[in-house]
Amino acid sequence: MSNQKKRNFQIEAFKHRVVVDPKYAEKTWKILEHAIHEIYNHNASGLSFEELYRNAYNMVLHKFGEKLYSGLVTTMTAHLKEISKSIEAAQGDLFLEELNRKWNDHNKALQMIRDILMYMDRTYIPNSRKTPVYELGLNLWRDNIIHSGKIQSRLLSTLLELVHRERTGEVIDRGLMRNTIKMLMDLGSSVYQDDFEKPFLEVSAEFYKVESQKFIECCDCGDYLKKAEIRLNEEIERIAHYLDVKSEAKITNVVEKEMIANHMTRLVHMENSGLVNMLLDDKYEDLGRMYNLFKRVPNGLSMIRDVMTSHLRETGKQLVTDAESSKDPVEFVQRLLDERDKYDKIICQAFSNAKTFQNALNSSFEYFINLNSRSPEFISLFVDDKLRKGLKGVSEEDVEIILDKVMMLFRYLQEKDVFEKYYKQHLAKRLLSGKTVSDDAERSLIVKLKTECGYQFTSKLEGMFTDMKTSQDTMQGFYANHIELAEGPTLVVQVLTTGSWPTQPTITCNLPTEMAALCEKFRSHYLGTHTGRRLSWQTNMGTADIKATFGKGQKHELNVSTYQMCVLMLFNNADRLSYKEIEQATEIPASDLKRCLQSMACVKGKNVLRKEPMSKDIGTDDAFFVNDKFTSKFYKVKIGTVVAQKESEPEKLETRQRVEEDRKPQIEAAIVRIMKSRRVLDHNNVIAEVTKQLQSRFLANPTEIKKRIESLIEREFLERDSDDRKLYRYLA
Amino acid sequence: MGIQKDMVKFNVGGRIFQTTATTIANAGRDSFFGALFDDNWDLRQQQQQPNSRQEFFIDRNPDCFAVLLDLLRTGDLYIPSNVPERLLYREAMFYGLTDHVRSAKWGPFDGNRLKLSRSVTGRAPGDGTAIRAGPDGGCCVAHGSMVHVFDWMLEEHPPINLDYQRVNDIGWINAENVLISACERLGKGDGGMGLFSSSTGDLRHKFNVVHDNQIKSFTAGALGFSPDYKIFASCKGRSNEYGIGVWDQVTGKQMDFVYESPGWYLGDADKLQWLNGSNCLLVATLFPRKDNCYISLLDFREKRMVWSWSDIGAPLTIDEKRVRDAIAMEECNSICVVNEYDDLGFIDLRINGGSVRWSSRSRLLKGKLPDEPCYPKLALHNGQLFSSMNDCISVFCGPDWVLTSRLRRSYGGSICNFSIGGDRLFALHSEENVFDVWETPPLPVI
Repeated sequence: MSNQKKRNFQIEAFKHRVVVDPKYAEKTWKILEHAIHEIYNHNASGLSFEELYRNAYNMVLHKFGEKLYSGLVTTMTAHLKEISKSIEAAQGDLFLEELNRKWNDHNKALQMIRDILMYMDRTYIPNSRKTPVYELGLNLWRDNIIHSGKIQSRLLSTLLELVHRERTGEVIDRGLMRNTIKMLMDLGSSVYQDDFEKPFLEVSAEFYKVESQKFIECCDCGDYLKKAEIRLNEEIERIAHYLDVKSEAKITNVVEKEMIANHMTRLVHMENSGLVNMLLDDKYEDLGRMYNLFKRVPNGLSMIRDVMTSHLRETGKQLVTDAESSKDPVEFVQRLLDERDKYDKIICQAFSNAKTFQNALNSSFEYFINLNSRSPEFISLFVDDKLRKGLKGVSEEDVEIILDKVMMLFRYLQEKDVFEKYYKQHLAKRLLSGKTVSDDAERSLIVKLKTECGYQFTSKLEGMFTDMKTSQDTMQGFYANHIELAEGPTLVVQVLTTGSWPTQPTITCNLPTEMAALCEKFRSHYLGTHTGRRLSWQTNMGTADIKATFGKGQKHELNVSTYQMCVLMLFNNADRLSYKEIEQATEIPASDLKRCLQSMACVKGKNVLRKEPMSKDIGTDDAFFVNDKFTSKFYKVKIGTVVAQKESEPEKLETRQRVEEDRKPQIEAAIVRIMKSRRVLDHNNVIAEVTKQLQSRFLANPTEIKKRIESLIEREFLERDSDDRKLYRYLA
Repeated sequence: MGIQKDMVKFNVGGRIFQTTATTIANAGRDSFFGALFDDNWDLRQQQQQPNSRQEFFIDRNPDCFAVLLDLLRTGDLYIPSNVPERLLYREAMFYGLTDHVRSAKWGPFDGNRLKLSRSVTGRAPGDGTAIRAGPDGGCCVAHGSMVHVFDWMLEEHPPINLDYQRVNDIGWINAENVLISACERLGKGDGGMGLFSSSTGDLRHKFNVVHDNQIKSFTAGALGFSPDYKIFASCKGRSNEYGIGVWDQVTGKQMDFVYESPGWYLGDADKLQWLNGSNCLLVATLFPRKDNCYISLLDFREKRMVWSWSDIGAPLTIDEKRVRDAIAMEECNSICVVNEYDDLGFIDLRINGGSVRWSSRSRLLKGKLPDEPCYPKLALHNGQLFSSMNDCISVFCGPDWVLTSRLRRSYGGSICNFSIGGDRLFALHSEENVFDVWETPPLPVI
C-alpha cells in the first residue's frame, strides 16, 4: 500500500535518451537468429545481407550489443552441440571425413555471420573487450567439438593410427590428414600442441625405439645408417605434407635421439663394419652418411673425430716406428704422404671438409711424425730423392703439388732445425755434384720454406745458390784472362762461402801436378781480384771427367771423384801400384782411399782397376793394376763412390750433436730477447716464452733452457733476484 | 570490346548508383562491401543469378553514399556543404570506411607542410599540463585533475580523472587505452597511475607500487613506454621511496623499481624516453624543478646508470642558460637540449660526462619575453626536430638542424605543451586552454 502511495509522488525524470522499445530488440534478434539458423542449414541464398547488416547495426547503435553478442554465443553453441552429435555418430573411417566436412561448413557459416555482424565486431567488441566473432567461432568449435569427451580421444587415436599405418608402408589419405591438422593449427598453436603434437612425439619415440633395436640387431653399420637416413627423410617429408613446420625440429629430434644418439657408441664400434672399417676401406658414401647423421646429435661428431684420431694415431705410430719402413726413407715418406692423402680425401668427400676434422688430422700427424726422431732426415732425403731424379718428366704443376705435400709434412715437424741441417747437407751435395734436376723446383721449395719459417731459416740456403752463381761468373772471368789455358785440362772451381755450407773438415790431398799447377793459377787469379780472402780446397767434394784408353784400345770417358782421379792419374806413369804407394803419393785419408779404391776395383762393370788379391775388401798389402780388359757398352762410364746415402750411426750422433750445439746460441738469444723486454720474469714464464718463441724451429728442452739460463747468469747477462730465487733480472 | 561484366547497381535510399566491382573492392574485406564478394573478389550475387542485373538496396543516406563512393573511386574526400561532417562520419562507420575517410582527410606528416586545420577551445583556463596525440589521430589533454579525450573527428569523449588528483602526465597505450599519472592524496591511497578506456572513460586498471612486499601509495610523474610493452614512470613514495618504476602493460604488474641514489634525482623526473637502440631509458630532471639539471640513461638489465650528465658546478653564464627540456636522438648519438631562449644544445652520448655544445641562433627573441612564459619543449619526428617557444613551434631539419619552418597562431597565449602522432601535431596553449591541430594537407592532384 505504502509503495503505491509513494509512487504517486514520484516525478518522472526527463528522459534524455529515446529508449527503443525492448520488443523491437527482441524482434530484430529473432530475425538475426533465424538467419544464423538458415546459414547453418545451407539456406543462406534467401537471406538479404543488407537487411541483416542493418539490423545488427541498429541493435548495436541502440545499445543492444550485449544482447546480440550473448544471443550469438547461445545460438552458435546450440548448433555446434548438434554438429558434435552427428560427428560422434560417424562410423569408422567416416569419422575424419565427417569432422572435416562439418569444419568446412562451420567455417563458411562463421564467415557469413562475421560479415553480418561486422559493425558489432568493429565497434561494440573492442569497447567491451569481448572476443571478436571469428575467434569466438573458433573457440566455440574447440570447446564443443574438439574438446568434447567422445571426440577428443577418438580424433587423437585416429590421427596417430593413420601416421602409424603410413610408417608401416600403407597409403593413407594425406589430404584429409592435412585438412584435419590444419584445423587444429587454426584453433591455435596450443590446441595443435596439446591435442596432437605431444602425444604424436611420444608415440613416435616409442616406435623408433623398438625399430632401432630391431635394426641394430640384424644390420651392419652401413645398412643401419641407410635405414636411419630413410626414416629421417620420411619424417621431414611427412612434415611437409601435412604437419606444422614448427614440428620438424621436434620430430627429427625424436628420430635422431632414438635412432642415432642412443646407439651411437655401438654403431661406431660395430665389428667388421664400424667406423674403423669404413676408414680402412675408404667407404666415402657410408662415412658421409655417418657424418651427416651424427652431426645432428650432440657429441656425435666429436665421437667420430675421437675414434678417427685414435685410429689414425695407432696406424701412424706403427708406420713411423716400424723398423722395416725406416730402411727406405723415400718409401717411409711416401707412405706418410699416402696416409695423409687418404684421410684428406675422406675428410673432403665424407666429412664436408670440416675444420675440426682437419685439425684432428693435423694434430695426429704432428703426434706420430715426431715419434720417430729421424723424420726430419727422412723428409729431407725424400726431397733429395725427388729433386735428384724423381721429378724427371713431371710437369711443373705436379712438382709443385709434391713439394706442397712435403711442406705439409714439414709443418708437423717439431725439430725444424734438424731438418734444416739435413736439408743443407743434401742441398750442398746436390749443388756440388750438379745433380739437381730443376733449379726452379729447388728455388720454389726454398720460397716455401721461407714463407713457412721466415727469412733466417733460408738465408744460408739462398747463400748457397748465390755461391753457385758467382762461381760460374768467376770461372768465366778466369778463362777469359787465361786464354792460353784453353788447351789442357779444364778446371771448374766452385767458391763456397764458409758458414753458408755444411762444414767439412778440410783434408787436402795431393793433386796431380797438371791440376796442382792449374789450381795455383786460379788461386792467384782469384786472390788477385778479391783481396783479403782465403781459399782452401775441398778435394773431397769434387768430381772429374777423365779420358782413358785401355789395353785393347777401348776408349772411355770416366766420370770419377777428385780422389779417384788422383789415383787413376798415378797409373799414367806406372802399371802396378801398391796400396801403400798410392796412399803415399796422394795422401788421401785412409777411409776415403779405401772406399774409392773399392769402387774402382771391386764393383762389377765399373772395375777400371784390377786388384791382387781379388777380394771384396781393400787391404793395406793389396796391389793394383790397370784393368786392360775393362769393357763397357757405354762410352761414358760413371764410377760412383760407395757412399752411405743414409747416415750411419756415428754420423747421426754427430749431426745430432751439431744440432744441439747450434741450438744453444738460439736459446740464449731468445732468453736475452725476452729478458731485455720484460726486465724481470720468473722461471716458469721464461721457459714458457722461450718455448713459444722457438716453436717454429724446434721444441726446446726445458732442462737445456735452464742450463742456458745458468750460463747467462755466469756470464752476467742475468741475475737472480735476491729475495725470490725464482725471479730473474736482466742486467743491462 | 563487350559490355562491362562487373557492373554493380545500388539503390541507396531511393537513389540509383552504378559503379563497378573493382571500385567497390577498394573498400576492402573488412567493410560492408567486403561481404558482397567471394574469396576471389567476384561478386557473390551474380554467381548465384548470372543473368539478373538486380539492384542492391541499401537503406542509407544517398548524399553521404555519393561522397563515399567518390572516395572509393578517387581516393579523395570532398565534403559538399550540404552534407554535415558528423553525418558523413557516421555513414562511414556504417560501411566500415572510417579508415578510408581518415587517411583521405589529411596526408602523411611533414613538419614543413603543416597547415592549421582546427582550434579546439578548452574548458578551464590556464592550468594545461600536457597534450598527447593518440595513434589514430585523436588526442587527450590534461589540465588540473581532469583529462579530456578527443577522437580523430575531434569529438570529445567522457572525461577521465584519477580520484580527482592533479594529473602529472598522460600517455596512450593504444587507440583504446589512456594512461594517467597523478599526485597522491595524503594518507588516502588515491592518485598514482591508472589505465582508462579512451572511448568510455572507465578505469580499467590501477597500478601499484610495492616496497618491501607492501603496497604503498605514490605520486607518479613523467611516463615512458617501450615497444616490448613496458611502462616506466618516475615515482615519489611517502617514505622517500623515490625512483623509476617499471610495469608490464599486459599484466599490469610491477616488474622493477630503480631507486635514486643520493645526490642524483630520478623520482622527480620531468621526462622519460625509451631508447630502442641502446635499450636504455633516458631520465631527465631539469631546472627549475631542482636547482640543477640531471640527465641520465638507465640500463634496467644491469640496474645502473650507463651514462649521465649534470650541470652541477658548471659556471653560470650571465644569461643563465639552463636546460629546460631534453630529447635523445639516437641516430646522431646525441641528446638535444633547449634553454629558455630557444637555443638548441647538444650533448654527446658516446662520452660520459661531456658538456653541452650550444648553437646560438635565436638572439632575436631575447628581451621580448612574454609576461607568462612557458618552458620550451622538444619533440622528434621522422628526423625533424620540433621546439616550442612562447607561441610558436620551430621545425629544424638536416644534419645541422637548420630552422626550416615556424608554426604560429595569433591567440591563446604561449604554448605549454605539444605532441606529434597519428600524422597530426597538437599544440596546447596555456592561457586559454585552447589547442591547435596541425595537419599535412593531402598531396596535390597532380
